[in-house]
Amino acid sequence: MKIIVHREKCQGHARCWAMAPDIFELDDEGYIMPGDIDVPEEQERLAWMGAKSCPERALDIQK
Amino acid sequence: METMAARPIPAHVPPDMIGNFSLFSSPGLEPTPNGDPQAASAVVHDGPRIFYSPVNTRDGKGTWVITRAQDQRRVLQDPETFSSHRSIFASALGESWQMIPLELDPPEHGKFRSLLNPLLSPKRVMALETAVRERASVLIDRIAAAGTSCDVMTDFAFPFAVNIFLRFLGLSDDRLDEFVGWANDLLHGDNVKRPAAARTIVAFIDELSADRRRQPVDDFMSFLVQSRIDDRPLTDMEIRGTGVLLFIAGLDTVAAAIGFDLNYLARHQADQQWLRDDPKRIVLAAEELLRAYPTVQMIRVATRDVDFEGAPIRKGDYVSCATMIANRDPLEFADPARIDLAREDNRHTAFAYGPHRCLGSHLARREIVVGLEEWLKRIPTFRIKSGTAPVTYGGHVFGIENLILDWSQEDAA
Repeated sequence: MKIIVHREKCQGHARCWAMAPDIFELDDEGYIMPGDIDVPEEQERLAWMGAKSCPERALDIQK
Repeated sequence: METMAARPIPAHVPPDMIGNFSLFSSPGLEPTPNGDPQAASAVVHDGPRIFYSPVNTRDGKGTWVITRAQDQRRVLQDPETFSSHRSIFASALGESWQMIPLELDPPEHGKFRSLLNPLLSPKRVMALETAVRERASVLIDRIAAAGTSCDVMTDFAFPFAVNIFLRFLGLSDDRLDEFVGWANDLLHGDNVKRPAAARTIVAFIDELSADRRRQPVDDFMSFLVQSRIDDRPLTDMEIRGTGVLLFIAGLDTVAAAIGFDLNYLARHQADQQWLRDDPKRIVLAAEELLRAYPTVQMIRVATRDVDFEGAPIRKGDYVSCATMIANRDPLEFADPARIDLAREDNRHTAFAYGPHRCLGSHLARREIVVGLEEWLKRIPTFRIKSGTAPVTYGGHVFGIENLILDWSQEDAA
C-alpha cells in the first residue's frame, strides 16, 4: 500500500499525524513532508485512517 | 444587536435562487433558550446546494450560501477567485489595514503563515500542554470546592481559554476580565460599543508592540517586532494587524466550543458516562463534538464573475462557507444529525479548509480535550440545573450563555 501525498493541498490540519505519527511526518511548520509514503503491511489500517482523516483530501490511497 | 436594514438584492441574483435562510435570524438561530443553533442551520440541506441569503452578515449584507462540504472545499481552496482580502475590523474604524494572516491572500499570506506556523504547530502545542492542564485543574478545583453548581461560561470556559491565550501572547492574567469585556463588546456589542472596543484593542496592541520594541522579552509581540519578511522588518500596520487578529481569534471561540460540548454532555447522560468509563475516548469524541458544534462562518469575496453550480456569482459578491452547514452535509457524513462520539471517518471543517485553516487549531484542540478531561475527572455526573435554561445564539460566531450545570444529589433525585 502506498499513500500519494498531494503536498500542495496540505494546509497543516495534521489529522494524519494525529492518527499515525510514525507514518505521516510533519515539517517544522506542521505541514506534511513531501514525497509519497510506502506503508508496511502491518501499518495499513493506521495509514488508511490517517489518509481518510484529511479534510483537504490531500492524501490518496493506492493499493 | 443593531437593526439589520435590508439592502436591495443585486439584480443579477435570479429570484428563484433567493432563500429565506439566515445564520442570524432563522428559527433557532436567534437567541433561544435550550436551543441547538448548529442543528437549526442544517435545515439548508433540504434545499439547493447554493442559494442567496439577503441578510447574512453582521452588518446586514447578503451572501451566497454554499451548503455542501465538497463545494465549500472548492471555494476555500481557491483564494484567487474567492478572496479573504477584507478589512472587517479596520473598516469599523474607518481604516483599511488587514488582519494578518486572515485577510491576506497568497502569495503574501504564505509569508506570514510561514512566520507564525511554527509558533502554533502540533509539536509546539505539545510543549504547552502542562500549562493548559494546570490552568484547567486549578479553575475546576475551585469550582468543585465552592459548591455543586456553576455557570460554566463565566466560571470555567472563558477564564480558561482566555488565560491560555494571554499566556501565549505574553500577557498576564491581571486584566483578564477587562479583555473578556472588550471581546464581548466587539463580538456582540451594539453600534456604539463595537467600534469603541475595536479602538481600545488597537490602542492596546499598538502600545504593547511599542513597549516590546523598546524592551523585548520572551513573548509573542517581541517575536513579531523582531521578525523579518522578505528581508525587511514588519511595518507598524502589519504588526498591528497580526496582533489584533491573534488577540481576538483566541478570545471566545474555544470557550464557546467547551460550552457547547458540556451542554451536550449534560443532556446526554449515556455519552457522559461512556467518556467517564474510559477517558481515552475523549480525544476522538472531541473531534465529533467539533463536527457537531463548530461556531464560525467563513466569508469570501469573489474577485471575478464566476458561475458556480448554476449560481451567477459576480465580482464583489460575498460567499459564505459556514462550518456548521458543511459539517452536517449528508453527502460528506453518514447520518450527520446523529452525534456519535466514536465516529472515525470524520474530516470535519470546524477549522475551515484551504490556506486560511485556523492557525490556532492545534492549541484549540488541546484546550478542548484537556478541558473535558479535567472537568470529567473532577466533577461528578452533571446536568442542566433544573429551572434554568442556557441561551444559544447563531450569527457571526455561535455561542451559548447562562449554562448552569448542577451535580448536587438533591437535584438528581
